[in-house]
Amino acid sequence: MSTPSYTIAPEAYYKVYFHAAKHPHLPVNGVLLGTQDSSRNVSIQDAVPLLHHWTSLSPMMEIGLDLATQHAGSSDMKVVGYYQACERVDDTSLAPVGEKVAGKIKAGFEDAIAFVVDGQKLGTSESALVPYVSTSPSSWKPTSTNPAPFSPGSKFQLEALETPSEAAKLVREQNLHFAFGDFDDHLEDVTIDWLRNRSCLP
Amino acid sequence: MSLQSALQKLASYRKNNTRASQEIFKEGLIVLKSGGVSKLGDEGWAFLEQLTLSAIDIGRLDIADQCLKQLSEKFPGSPRVDVLTGVRMEATESPSTVLSFYDELLRVNPSNAAIWKRRISVLRRVGKIDKAVEELNEYLDTFYTDVEGWLELADIHSSCNQYHSALQALSHALLLTPQNPFTFLQFAETAYTSGDVPLALKMFLVVIDMNESEDEDTIPLGISVRAWWGTKLCSRQLVSSPSTYTSDSNTPVPKNIKLIDELATERVLTAYSGEQGIQARGLVSKWMSAGR
Repeated sequence: MSTPSYTIAPEAYYKVYFHAAKHPHLPVNGVLLGTQDSSRNVSIQDAVPLLHHWTSLSPMMEIGLDLATQHAGSSDMKVVGYYQACERVDDTSLAPVGEKVAGKIKAGFEDAIAFVVDGQKLGTSESALVPYVSTSPSSWKPTSTNPAPFSPGSKFQLEALETPSEAAKLVREQNLHFAFGDFDDHLEDVTIDWLRNRSCLP
Repeated sequence: MSLQSALQKLASYRKNNTRASQEIFKEGLIVLKSGGVSKLGDEGWAFLEQLTLSAIDIGRLDIADQCLKQLSEKFPGSPRVDVLTGVRMEATESPSTVLSFYDELLRVNPSNAAIWKRRISVLRRVGKIDKAVEELNEYLDTFYTDVEGWLELADIHSSCNQYHSALQALSHALLLTPQNPFTFLQFAETAYTSGDVPLALKMFLVVIDMNESEDEDTIPLGISVRAWWGTKLCSRQLVSSPSTYTSDSNTPVPKNIKLIDELATERVLTAYSGEQGIQARGLVSKWMSAGR
């Protein structure tokens, strides 16, 4: 049986990046939206940011996940993955809550994937995403595939190679991450469009 | 940007304890470059401390060192400058070097609370969670009234899936700040996560009660929106199957749970009735009806 492959669109990457950049000293998390074709290629097209306040607590996560799932359905996509960034640059482990949420996503989408942001690669031209795959719904491990994720021939690819350096430029030069809002922000001010975040995209 | 407005902004960041490091650094550099520190009088030193922390945060260690030098010359041996020196070391030195620096300071002065807290945060950072929890408990035995300490303890427990211990820590924070709705909100969300839905509902309602200067006709704003969402999440589960919910705290399910549920639906939807909220309203009402 073929193994699934994953391609990440710039919009999805930018949003994950902006979320991490907006709250450098806090953990953040959210979900990834996309579609899958018949040969199990997953195309990750968008990201919906969820929390930055209490990422270990579940009520707002549950509501946010429900709403994001509905939103994905209304634009002919599915929730296909989870992402998380830690408060420390050298920490790229998937938190227990991350495993739980990713497991929940897997219940609705078999080839679900989780990414942890590698803070040390955020300012570089390399992809800062560390993929985690599930061995069972409750156990997630970093991929041990060869070649390494996002290198040529890997089953993890960026749609556009220059996305990471573009993202860094957008943050540094245009401060686009300040215009970005997640579900936590939305709960404080419901006019913040956390599902789309159009105003922060170039 | 004028010097005057930069100073005003910086003072308000200090007053509110805002960690807006990029902004603080930008404004702070204007003040530093203009040589304004000496004109500020005593406030100048608080400003230098603030600029040091923000410079460390964004990785401009050259500026941090420059400020730190001025501070240590002015206040040799000050515990407050020691803390700042420690934070600066944490940016570049190995955890073991920093820990022994803190150990030495604590040996000389065991009552230096700030150093003790830094030490605990380093322990947590390097993954010595058990040790961090043990020391934090010891610290809170001595400094019981430190709300920040209790919140940190709750956060550590939550991040390790120990929600019951997190609730215990939070109940101390509640005793110490009975007027702070955010602590109640955190308690409610932790209770929900631990599986005690009736307790969570009770606490979400407390948050609403504390914040309610509004009457029935007003649009919920700020923390109330979150609390109404939480109320709805709890009430719709309790309405659909009240008997299956056990409460570790023996909190009873309110008799009028159906009314609470209806009110929560109405309140959340009202939060989305404004001109700007309306675009999300369709999705929200769909969620309301999907859960039944």
